Amino acid sequence: MLRPFALYRPTTLPELGDLLAEHGGDAAIYAGGTELLLLLKEGLIRVRCLIDVKRVAGLDAIASDDGAVTIGATVRHRAVEQSPLLLERCPLLAGVAAHVANVRVRHVGTVGGNLAFADPHSDLATICLAFDAAMSLWSRGGERQIPLAEFVLGAYETARREDEIVTSVRLRPWPQRTVGAYLKFGVYERPTLGVALAVTMSPAGQVSEARLAVGCVGPRPRRFTDVERRAIGATAADLADAAKPLADATAEAVDTVDDLHGSADYKREMTRVFVRRAVAAVAARAAGREFDERYAHAVVV
Amino acid sequence: MSDTHTPSSCSLACTVNGRAVALEVPAHALLIDVLRERLDLKGAKRSCDMQVCGACTVLVDGAPVSSCTYLAVEAEGAEILTVEGLSHGDTLDPLQEAFIEHGAVQCGFCTSGMLMSARALLAEDPVPTRERVAHHLRGNLCRCTGYSKVIDAIVACGRRPEARA
Amino acid sequence: MTFRVVGRSVRRLDVVEKVTGRARYVTDMELPGMLHAKLLRSPHAHARIRRMSVEAARGYPGVHAVVTSGDLAWCDPYFGPALRDRPILAIDVARYEGEPVAAVVADTEEAAAEALTLIEVDYEELPAVTTLAEALAPDAPLVHTAPPLAGHFADLSTLKSRPGTNVCHQFHFERGRGTAALAEADLVLDETYTFPRVQHYSIEPHAAVAAWDEHGGLTVWASTQNPYSVRAELAKMFRAPLAAIRIVVPYLGGGFGGKTYAKLEPIVGALARIVGRPVRLALTAEEAFRTVRRCDARVRVRLGLRRDGLLLAAACEGDFDVGAYADIGPRIIQKGTYTATGPYRVPHVVLHSQAVYTNTTPGGAFRGFGVPQLAWAFESLLDEAATRLDLDPVDLRRQNLLAHGEEYAPGDTPIDGKFEESLNRAAEAIRWTQVAAAGRGRGVAMMMKASIGPTVSEAVVRLHADASVTVLSSTVEMGQGAHTVMAQIAAEVLAVSIDRVRVAAPDTAVTPYDQTTSSSRSTTMMGRAVQDAAEDVRAQLLRVAEAALHVPVRQLGLDDGAVVAEDGRRLSYEDVLKERFGMGGGELIGRGIVAPGRSAAPLGGSTPFWEMAAGAAEISLDEETGAITVEDYVSVADVGRRINPQQCEGQDEGAVLQGLGHTLFEEMLYDGGQLLNANLVDYRVPRAADVPAALQCHFIENGDGAGPFGAKGMGEGSLIPVSPAVGNALRRLAGVRLRELPLTPERVWRALRARDQKESTPP
Repeated sequence: MLRPFALYRPTTLPELGDLLAEHGGDAAIYAGGTELLLLLKEGLIRVRCLIDVKRVAGLDAIASDDGAVTIGATVRHRAVEQSPLLLERCPLLAGVAAHVANVRVRHVGTVGGNLAFADPHSDLATICLAFDAAMSLWSRGGERQIPLAEFVLGAYETARREDEIVTSVRLRPWPQRTVGAYLKFGVYERPTLGVALAVTMSPAGQVSEARLAVGCVGPRPRRFTDVERRAIGATAADLADAAKPLADATAEAVDTVDDLHGSADYKREMTRVFVRRAVAAVAARAAGREFDERYAHAVVV
Repeated sequence: MSDTHTPSSCSLACTVNGRAVALEVPAHALLIDVLRERLDLKGAKRSCDMQVCGACTVLVDGAPVSSCTYLAVEAEGAEILTVEGLSHGDTLDPLQEAFIEHGAVQCGFCTSGMLMSARALLAEDPVPTRERVAHHLRGNLCRCTGYSKVIDAIVACGRRPEARA
Repeated sequence: MTFRVVGRSVRRLDVVEKVTGRARYVTDMELPGMLHAKLLRSPHAHARIRRMSVEAARGYPGVHAVVTSGDLAWCDPYFGPALRDRPILAIDVARYEGEPVAAVVADTEEAAAEALTLIEVDYEELPAVTTLAEALAPDAPLVHTAPPLAGHFADLSTLKSRPGTNVCHQFHFERGRGTAALAEADLVLDETYTFPRVQHYSIEPHAAVAAWDEHGGLTVWASTQNPYSVRAELAKMFRAPLAAIRIVVPYLGGGFGGKTYAKLEPIVGALARIVGRPVRLALTAEEAFRTVRRCDARVRVRLGLRRDGLLLAAACEGDFDVGAYADIGPRIIQKGTYTATGPYRVPHVVLHSQAVYTNTTPGGAFRGFGVPQLAWAFESLLDEAATRLDLDPVDLRRQNLLAHGEEYAPGDTPIDGKFEESLNRAAEAIRWTQVAAAGRGRGVAMMMKASIGPTVSEAVVRLHADASVTVLSSTVEMGQGAHTVMAQIAAEVLAVSIDRVRVAAPDTAVTPYDQTTSSSRSTTMMGRAVQDAAEDVRAQLLRVAEAALHVPVRQLGLDDGAVVAEDGRRLSYEDVLKERFGMGGGELIGRGIVAPGRSAAPLGGSTPFWEMAAGAAEISLDEETGAITVEDYVSVADVGRRINPQQCEGQDEGAVLQGLGHTLFEEMLYDGGQLLNANLVDYRVPRAADVPAALQCHFIENGDGAGPFGAKGMGEGSLIPVSPAVGNALRRLAGVRLRELPLTPERVWRALRARDQKESTPP
């Protein structure tokens, strides 16, 4: 059960700002509540009021403009999973959303809530990194955009100030001729490892852009730009051959921690394994083939 | 119209199993407690209390939610369906019949949640494969049955035309 | 032999209630004036309670009482079925992280939870022992310093502790020339295995509601598997006659042993007395992890074989960690160790085990009751022997199986099954003699377990004026289908439709004595009591009909609610009762008592049946991650006769999945005395997607059980072979032998990498 709190339901950002200013640390931003209500139940945080952001106009849209896709903070995972716009422009994101937690959490949990909570064992931040995601934050003092990579500082720690809320995440959809894969692995309730890989192939059949993100194994997800650079210029066949060196380079650079999901060195080795598999998947898809491999306790999107 | 004035008590008007309900509930009331304590609908059970086990699953406008971690006030204006709403008098829902026929019930504590989850699945995917059912039931734990007969029941129900109501 | 209703998968008596959400469990109960309790738990594994300050909590709005051990001087505060070592609330010392040290009773759960946070406790931490190694070390700090008090089970009045140590019981069993015979073996293997701490996670956590009445009587509605044992405890603790204590048991949302013997009932009963109102205590799932668990164990097995595979001698030493309070630990070590060598003939054995206290969650009964821990070790080592002797593991087992009718131990029941049939069925079903597909490996394992003896089960069957029937039995319905089975038995004997049979909820004021719903015993023992009670009614029906029809009893039978004579005349039961009572009222009451009594068997009573099962697994392995997939699993249980085939299948499918949990996923992780993963996010139980793609549950039915219609017990057996079968499959597939559980991907991966290292390192 929960301790009593007051519930505020602003309908505009200025109202929200006033409430935040008034209540400060005694208030928590509430959207889906799938993380917040658990923290409250367990007594890990105590607040006097919840500020429900779901009625604030403009936070629940999935929109496309100027080449980017913007997902409002209160958009549910389920909506991401089923959005025609995302299925068309960012299909891998929609595919990953279909495997978050369980179906009930997907119906209730929100994108903004997930990213703002910054649980290290989470897929959404990892895949969003591969879309060069940028967070929009609003406060009474103004709005700012901050790349997701800079927004997530560590486990459960973000750059959001107490007077700010996440209003949306902005993604740069991949160009045409991009193939990608997301591989997640783990036996436990939350994923132990997540690898997002996407390569854009030039008309000549060579990698012109690459995006590699690994998450869940350390305090925060990361892009591996050095490894990405090494993929540039590769043909699909080259890429298949380069799976091992690319994986080794990632494993060398990845930051892993010991926790209930496993030891740091195991996670490093699993990074090696799943980056290699992700490269194989992407190389196959880049060559126009299906990738049918299935791995125990893993999901291939 | 903005609602910045905040009593810690809210009025909740919704329908539960087809019946209109109007209650005053504290903002912090959880849906499971309102259902169990205020409406005497004890079918939803509290078990893990953290959205993993599904014993508390109810449908809110057709969507399965963990009522143990869902504020009652979120149900405002919604149609709630609990296990008690599946049957009408002595007439059981095809899913309930399937669970009976296939031996999918032992201690019964997970059963309400299983049925509600299955109901949501069949509404979306009327003839699911075993694999799809197993994926959908990721959030429904059972310690007694080993799941086989639960999956059997849901798959069998899916194949019956009258179940696709 | 054809039966009307026995052997048919009739619908469960409780299934409509359960699918409609109408079934009532303890936590669904509401009594007028009922208050709510919450427990304050020690954050330390071992600590002296120097001071507790409860005034602020007492003053919190809605609070009726804040209770500590000092407020319980009016009762005898200790309970426990083997050793009465567990206080209702910690007295001066908290012995495990999570031990209840205080209780709050309030109008609402919310108020009680809030008031808990206002209690201040001043602890002085004490050195703790939180592993077997620590607890057994010389000069280890002692979990209990007072001399032990024996609990209420007669067979455990011979408790053998080792004073000055953390060993609270020892069990020793020998046969033949013991370890001396190892010297005669061509091959001796010596390995040590460990079995982890795992938790039952019944979907319904423990709960109880207690209320005292104006006559000084106590009623407790409890989610318990043994109402009579709980009654005995409470009567002793509250110094009341047994007749004044009433335990009522609605449906349990799962038990698996975790709800055997008193758990919550003492505190709830005490609180209800103090506040003078009904009190409800419902634990959270997290609290269940701090109430009971399986005893982890370290088992050393030495096995001596002849070159041709004949088993000659075995020595097993088991250390079982019973946690901070012994619960039924002493009996667990006995039961597990007694059949350490499984269903095989081993002429020379020395078996020894110890129950060891540690400052952790108390260990208690859990499906398998000590046998999983031993079988994991023995069945793994048996496969090692097969490898070393270059023998087929199935052949090796078959060669050594005990024969039907053979003696296991003097004074105990002879072997009551054709074990070879089970093994052969398992081997055939997993296609043992065919080469496995690439990337697949197979393993087999068997188990044997004695059920509990001596026990007492009594039942009453009432035939009402309209020929409907009520069965009074204290067997608890916890999902296993026991109530339906009892109804089937009564319906069969009395030749009535099962729709006309009701089984009353266990209620010690109404349903007569039953020892326990555990040990796979209820179909056999209570089933016989119900059968005898129904036969008693049958005899009464026939005697009345004999007089009415002028036909001797031996020419009468029962059919479809009537007594029938050979010449075709029928007298309905309604008419029989009218004949008997001369009016439209009255009922026939039959009684059955099954109480085989003590015997010379090593465990104090002869087992009513031997539970024996075989399992075979076919696995695949992701060599790069260590993740095992159990692709095919076959369980074979020798059950004598399935009273309800579908329910037996459901039980074994559940047992296999629970076994997979132990094997692949489940472990309670501790950092010293702190339990790190007492919740369902961090403790991984099997899910629907973990069901093997091919799962077959087979049953051998030779009608050779001591239960009704030749039935034996089942429900624990099929869990036990899972771990060793999978471990053996892993060895055969990948060449790695793990001796600890669970076989998480990381553990397997480490073993695989070590193997790779060894293989690439020149000798």
